[in-house]
Amino acid sequence: MSNAEQRLAPAIELIEVGKSYGKVHVLAGINLTIGAGEFIALLGPSGCGKSTLLKLIAGLEELSDGEIYVGGRLANYLKPSDRDVAMVFQNYALYPHMTVRENLGFPLKMSGIPRDTVRQKVESAASLLQLGAQLDRYPDELSGGQRQRVALGRAIVREPLAFLMDEPLSNLDALLRVEMRTELIRLHKRVGRTTIYVTHDQVEAMTMASRIVLMHKGVIQQVGTPAEVYATPANTFVATFVGSPPMNLFAGRIESQGAARLFRGPFDLALDRLAPPSLADGAATIGIRPEQVRLVGAGEVGAMPARVELIERVGPDSFVLTQVAAGANVIARIDAARPIREGDRVFVLLPPAQLRLFDAEGNRVPTEGS
Amino acid sequence: MATAELANGVTRLRLSPGEHRRLARRARLRRELTGWMFLGPMFSFFLVFLVLPVCGTAWWSSRAGSIFGGTKFVGLDNFTSLPGVVGAGSAIANTMIFAGISVPLILVGALAVALLLAKIVHGGAVYRFLVYFPVLVPGVVAALIWLFLTNVDFGLFNTVLKAFGAMPVTWLGADHALVVLAILDVWRNVGYWAMFFVAAIIGLPTELYQAAELDGASPFARFRHLTLPLMRRIIFFAVIVSTIWGLQVFDTALVLTNGGPGTATTTVIYRVWLFVFASNNKIGTAAAISLVLIVAILALTLVQMRVLRSRRGIE
Amino acid sequence: MADTALPMNIGAEDHARLRRRKRRRTELARHAALALITFVMVAPFYYVFLASLKNATEIFSYPPKLVPFPPYFGNYEKLLWDTGFLRWMFNSLFVAGSVTTLKIFLDSMAGYALAKIEMTGKRVIFMAMLILLMVPIGALIVPLWSLVSGLGLIDSYWALILPPLANPLGAILMRQFILGLPKDLESAARLDGLSELGIYWRIVLPLIKPGLVVLAVIIFTDQFMSFIWPLIATTSDDLQVLTVGVAALRAHGGANYGIWSASAVMSLIPVGVFFFVLQRQFLARSLAGALKQ
Repeated sequence: MSNAEQRLAPAIELIEVGKSYGKVHVLAGINLTIGAGEFIALLGPSGCGKSTLLKLIAGLEELSDGEIYVGGRLANYLKPSDRDVAMVFQNYALYPHMTVRENLGFPLKMSGIPRDTVRQKVESAASLLQLGAQLDRYPDELSGGQRQRVALGRAIVREPLAFLMDEPLSNLDALLRVEMRTELIRLHKRVGRTTIYVTHDQVEAMTMASRIVLMHKGVIQQVGTPAEVYATPANTFVATFVGSPPMNLFAGRIESQGAARLFRGPFDLALDRLAPPSLADGAATIGIRPEQVRLVGAGEVGAMPARVELIERVGPDSFVLTQVAAGANVIARIDAARPIREGDRVFVLLPPAQLRLFDAEGNRVPTEGS
Repeated sequence: MATAELANGVTRLRLSPGEHRRLARRARLRRELTGWMFLGPMFSFFLVFLVLPVCGTAWWSSRAGSIFGGTKFVGLDNFTSLPGVVGAGSAIANTMIFAGISVPLILVGALAVALLLAKIVHGGAVYRFLVYFPVLVPGVVAALIWLFLTNVDFGLFNTVLKAFGAMPVTWLGADHALVVLAILDVWRNVGYWAMFFVAAIIGLPTELYQAAELDGASPFARFRHLTLPLMRRIIFFAVIVSTIWGLQVFDTALVLTNGGPGTATTTVIYRVWLFVFASNNKIGTAAAISLVLIVAILALTLVQMRVLRSRRGIE
Repeated sequence: MADTALPMNIGAEDHARLRRRKRRRTELARHAALALITFVMVAPFYYVFLASLKNATEIFSYPPKLVPFPPYFGNYEKLLWDTGFLRWMFNSLFVAGSVTTLKIFLDSMAGYALAKIEMTGKRVIFMAMLILLMVPIGALIVPLWSLVSGLGLIDSYWALILPPLANPLGAILMRQFILGLPKDLESAARLDGLSELGIYWRIVLPLIKPGLVVLAVIIFTDQFMSFIWPLIATTSDDLQVLTVGVAALRAHGGANYGIWSASAVMSLIPVGVFFFVLQRQFLARSLAGALKQ
């Protein structure tokens, strides 16, 4: 492959990748193309296979099915160190018996790079991550945040094709986590290397990634930009996983009354032209995001009476849990300044234009304008 | 060659299942080879000097003759005639009596010392050092030392007896020799198991004891109903291992009493040694006895592995 | 001895004081018991040490002198110059040292493979090691002697050094230690380009150093104290190890208590020093067994 081709080639390609342990399928049918410079988040609950996928890309586990291309080369049977990727581990995995300087320089030393160059690269990585003062300390003398940065530095010095990060921030306390998140974003802007970031925290994924890959039970649920997965989730799993509090979902049936389509569930809702003709009558789910729900006056069309059950005040917003009918709760987001108390009787409006429709299997049905 | 058309228009090669299998097998073979390079050396010694001899004992036990000269095949004769062989039965009996005396004494003593040591606040290190010291004494040296303790004329034991006005005892006479040998073993091994138990006792949950104390349990009751049950697995392990060690007694028997008087302290391994090197037609019997010993040890090992595998938590 | 029940009609401060006194008394009682026990354990050593400094008549005298003055060094002189004691000591140290050094590497490599590398039959091999762990060399003297003799190695240092290498305790211990290392370290090392040998040498070995020390202590002491195999494996005078030589002193040359006591004392010096310096590691030997449960 010529240099030009390599530069244009996508960084990592996964074709029909699968992994099983004996009879247990941990991953199946994974197809993904990651372009150079992208920041991809592998997002999903624990056990969905995201860490396994990362390890397959790194070469730390063997594929059961499919092919992985790294930098345009078939990587299935390449040793991890031959794939030109670097990994940042959740538990940092720093060598306890080496100083920070030695930890940072280790991968370079192993590739036979001359000592002076190693020293140079180590120093520049250390200054990039503000580790200059810690260079001659040992990992057990460092704080969690510093250790994290050394782990990062060890990946950076290699100047690899891609960074693979396995929940690197989950061992840090909340404050540090937010700080490191910003630093990672800044680093990515500056260094611009392809990054694959595994996390179960959807806030992290939404703020950091250019594209998010949602995974559940070993299968990719959706691939898209943060905006896409938020506004147009591919199925009910994505709809509830992304966004906090999750999307309001109501299970029911779609019925036709002449030309009009109606949703019958815990409450009835006229769907107008929302439901496309391709969607047959039958079981379905509708969803709407809390910030789309409106608390209105009694007279408005489509307003449903509801009782305020719970109010969560989270600073500038409040999340109001209302009960519209037995067993059907609608969470709405309102301005915190708005006077409202638990027990109040209010009217809830679900604007049809903001509704999302899901079929019997939970997959989203594209509606007009979405 | 199968190909896949990707979203960005690039075409990639796909491997057929056959190629996958071939490459996967090659990677696996490479890993196995590395594994064997690491395990190989030690495992070879293990095979040659442990596994092979275990099988070899079985082979030799089916033959009769001398280890220096020729032997001939005799099948199971060595085993069937074993009870009749002079010295074989007494060796086994001696060894079992020996273990029967020394093992309980060692463990009870070790438990007692451990209970005391575990609660000591200051100066524990000195006691630990001194109690453990006899463990490091080679058997022959320990036996030599005990020659000085048991000597009829100037031995420490008789000197103490004489000081109290009692009659001196022939410690190494036919009636007492085996017992004295057992006590020697207790002296040597108490320290080892004491440290073992101390580690276990320190690991016990203190809250249980505090609760028991609040419930009004006396120290003895706490020991009986709390410590002992909690330490059941550890004690069981200690019984098995110290028994296995007890069955191997030889060097002390040789140096203290030369197996005597007569055959009073001739133990199993002692007898085997005599049969192999001090006679020229007992090799088969020697191997047969060795095999019995090996089987006994293996049986004890398997019992221990079986019983200790069941996890029942804190009883 | 005060009654264990505390009277009900005294104030809290008095309660505390009584309890403290009771605690101190139990502590004292414990110390007394332990002192007695350790005295009994250690008295024989002092007795023999005394005897080693007495000449033949003094040993038999009653009542025995508790402090030998003037000390008689003839026993030690005879031991060191007239017997092969120094040679025996050298042999024991040499053999024990060689076996220990070799086993450190053999066992840690084996433990690494058992812990970290996928191999066919690994489980079977490990099981075999566990099962045969407790079979002593003493039970195998018939075939072992025949084997070593057949290899032409009888009566050589090889005969003393090679068979003990078969003991699986080291491999099993090392496997446990290595399994205890964080798994990600290995992954990181692989990504950094280390070969299997590199991971073993640069990462695993430095990190299990405490375990290696414990193993070395166990192996060295076991070898130093071994008797039956060196007894039958060597016949030449200059290959005898300490244990065999000392036993020979007892067997031949009549009842020379002087030399015997001197030999006992001298034999204890290396181990005594070793133990004193490495106390923690020695006691870890028993702890390692406890941990296995």
